[in-house]
Amino acid sequence: MRSRFTGGSRPVVVLILAGSLLISYLAFRQEDILSKGIYRVGVSPGCPAIQDGRFSTVTVDRSTGYSLLNGKALDVYIDGDKVAYRNDDRSLYAAGALRLYLEKQELARITDGYEINQAFPLRIEVNYLAAPAGQGTSLAELVEALTSGPAVAGAGETQPSPDTPQSQPAPSETDFAVMEQIQEMESGGRLPKIEMEFASDKAIIVPSLMSPPVPFAQVVIAFLYILPISFVSVFFTSSFMDEKIDRRITVLMSAPVTPFQIIVGKMLPYVSFSLASVVIMTLVLGGNLLLAVAIFIPVILFIFSIYLMVPLVYRTFRDTTFISMLAITVITSYLVFPAMFSGVNDLAYMSPLTLAVKMYRGEPFGLEEYLFSTASMYVIFILSMYIGTRILNEEYLMGFRPLYRKVAEAIYLAINRNHLYVSITLLSLFLIPIVYMIQLVVLAISLNLPIRYAVGVLLIMAVVVEEVAKSVGIAVVLENRAIKTTKNIVVLSFLSAVGFLVGEKLLLLVSLSAVSESALSAVLFSSGMLWIPLVAHFVFTSVVCLLTKRFGVRRYPYAVLAGSIVHVLYNLYILGVI
Amino acid sequence: MNAFVAIAKKELKSVTKEKTIMIAVSIQLFLASFSSAILIGVLSFYDPDSIGLNAQLRVRVGIIGDTGSPLIWFLRDRNVRVTPFSSSKDAENAFRAGAIDTVIFTPEDSRGVVEMKLFLPDSETRSTLILMILKEPLKQYENYLREGQGVHVRYTDIKGLPSTTYEFRYSVIIPILMFFPAFVAGSMVVDSISEELENHTLETLWSAPLSLNVIFGAKIVAALVLAVVQCALWSMLLRLNRIPIQNLGLVLLLAAVIAAIISVGSALIATYFKDRERSQFVYSLSVPLSAGTTYFFDVSPITLMTRLATGDCYTGIADVVVYGILLLALLAVFFSMAKRLIAMPA
Repeated sequence: MRSRFTGGSRPVVVLILAGSLLISYLAFRQEDILSKGIYRVGVSPGCPAIQDGRFSTVTVDRSTGYSLLNGKALDVYIDGDKVAYRNDDRSLYAAGALRLYLEKQELARITDGYEINQAFPLRIEVNYLAAPAGQGTSLAELVEALTSGPAVAGAGETQPSPDTPQSQPAPSETDFAVMEQIQEMESGGRLPKIEMEFASDKAIIVPSLMSPPVPFAQVVIAFLYILPISFVSVFFTSSFMDEKIDRRITVLMSAPVTPFQIIVGKMLPYVSFSLASVVIMTLVLGGNLLLAVAIFIPVILFIFSIYLMVPLVYRTFRDTTFISMLAITVITSYLVFPAMFSGVNDLAYMSPLTLAVKMYRGEPFGLEEYLFSTASMYVIFILSMYIGTRILNEEYLMGFRPLYRKVAEAIYLAINRNHLYVSITLLSLFLIPIVYMIQLVVLAISLNLPIRYAVGVLLIMAVVVEEVAKSVGIAVVLENRAIKTTKNIVVLSFLSAVGFLVGEKLLLLVSLSAVSESALSAVLFSSGMLWIPLVAHFVFTSVVCLLTKRFGVRRYPYAVLAGSIVHVLYNLYILGVI
Repeated sequence: MNAFVAIAKKELKSVTKEKTIMIAVSIQLFLASFSSAILIGVLSFYDPDSIGLNAQLRVRVGIIGDTGSPLIWFLRDRNVRVTPFSSSKDAENAFRAGAIDTVIFTPEDSRGVVEMKLFLPDSETRSTLILMILKEPLKQYENYLREGQGVHVRYTDIKGLPSTTYEFRYSVIIPILMFFPAFVAGSMVVDSISEELENHTLETLWSAPLSLNVIFGAKIVAALVLAVVQCALWSMLLRLNRIPIQNLGLVLLLAAVIAAIISVGSALIATYFKDRERSQFVYSLSVPLSAGTTYFFDVSPITLMTRLATGDCYTGIADVVVYGILLLALLAVFFSMAKRLIAMPA
């Protein structure tokens, strides 16, 4: 780090860093920086101006207003208490946006202008009931308790007495809840509220003050954690690349240290930097330090394991830049996207950021959830460390070959030829999190297509990725002529299928306790009995591997295709399509 | 001129050969897909209308207490199935049997403040969903009660369409797709210039009867060509996805002008720092920095792009020309300083 920015560039870097921090802070404060002035709104004279950056407002009288509206020069025209709009998309969207804005304004007007009982006459107490088998609170009991003793809430203030507003000085329990929510609304609700208490069982909700459950603020916080980590990891990649290019790493490798020591030694300072940033961030935001560290250690390890692979596999700087950019976008999306759904879909636990969101929302989570979201990160880290130590030799690092050759070689080096069977089983098992990630990426991309095709593409691509994961080890071994007989291949295919299935089931076991209901996971990891999937996996992998043997490794893609077709047909059969 | 074209061609060839441009394109596709996936996801999970439409979900509500409450109209209006129950025991049994999803208790006396009880299933996922679907009818009922208290809420009859998707498409997706190629172009220019400086190949080129400005100009133009091709590609893809872009010519022109500004800026950075890594670092920091700074302008390039693409009738070529002038100024500075910058020690 220090040697990198010596001389004249350091002040510039500091300046730019400070500048970008300032800008992002200002941008964060300013509302609606995007879509500024996207709608043109006309208001009749006497109407209050619209305080929302999305609307550029002009005050025009009625007849001009309507003619501008019809001439498409205005999207919406507010005529006193009435709002006029056209029937085309742009105008309808503008009206939709304006409706939400005006709703808020009206709420503020009512809150200020009327007494609390008039402005918010409906309060709803939310109770939770355990759905199956009668443990938990009984509804009958609750209702009995309510109807028999409504004196506290109802009786005191059911007389509407607008003329004597001061005669009821004792506000009820629910009034407090309402006032609290009004305050929250007035404070803007924009700054992330960080509370460490657990949500109470009985919450009072007021329909118009209900805030949407989107955890944007907390997701932004969780995202803030990721930024410095990815930044530091880019430096790590650069430093590795540097040493690789000026061959200092060759000198290191000839010294009496193991490859593992070299990697750990190089990684340690950067990991500590990242960890320090997590600690500082948590202290500043007032989160639970221990919990934050537990959540973000796997994230750090995961990010670093990806960035370890980049310089080991690539040779030129230009490649590294783009691959790093790709890695940043994929990692960030993989981590942030699921976190948006925390509390709505249990699949959100796929990303540890969901745990961070939960932490900052003051909601509890269990060990199962922790394992579900972080296990794959740890597994990827272990895999990448292992492969890293195996491929850290001069011949591999300095070779200049296409990417797929590099990957094949890395896999071959990772496989222990003395324990071929164990290696293949473990390889399939450890590749599962990566399969999972790739499938997620495929899912995102397939959403560009119309939904009917998207499901089809997803089904096919998920299968192809799985088949590659299961057979790639065997194909590499075949290519290097480490095995020859058909029997060997069949045995290896079987073991690979076992490894994959064990991994899949392990994931399912963890996820079943964390994820209760999710159609997506059912599609991605078709569950079911144990023997049929095992036989099925075995058959698909054997098809791929035997075809590869028969027609040579050059035709491997076609072999994968053939195996995948069989797999897709099987899946369609299971799903009952054919 | 021939030399100019030759250099530009060479640049383009080296980029396409290295496949880096493919990675860059896939990053953009991925970014756009992922952000729209997030949006679709967020909408389908958080927007009551979309939930109803997407999941074909019908919430079944059991009502106890005042079974003649106006709330029932509002619920039925929103396609919620309502079953009145005479006793809480019956409602509870129905809930346990899975015949209803949630139970609402409304007090008989609906004058003044109404204190309702809502019983939701224990599962966080399901209760959130139910609550979101019930939100709108509950709000309508609240407004009904307000009217009863003499409080009139205005503007409740605007229909309109949920605008989040529209705003997101035009103010996030389209600017990302149109400006990301510019970022890639700048990065290309940095790479190409600093590579020549590091390998000292620039001197060789320079000693040939070529001026420095022709060399740099060709490199910038090569990067620009790629950027414009990408933008055109994206606009086609968007059209295929039924996202129309108004003023397409101006949108592409603006994208090209911004790409040129960024490329010239990156050339300045590369000739100043002279080594690839520092230049790339400073470049990749200064792009977001300058993008951030433009937010303080009245009409930032991103806002301008949004307004052009949505067909705002007060926005036109004059706004684009402003950035064209900025580009010319920057070009003048760069061309007059390039020689001195190169001669300066790093």
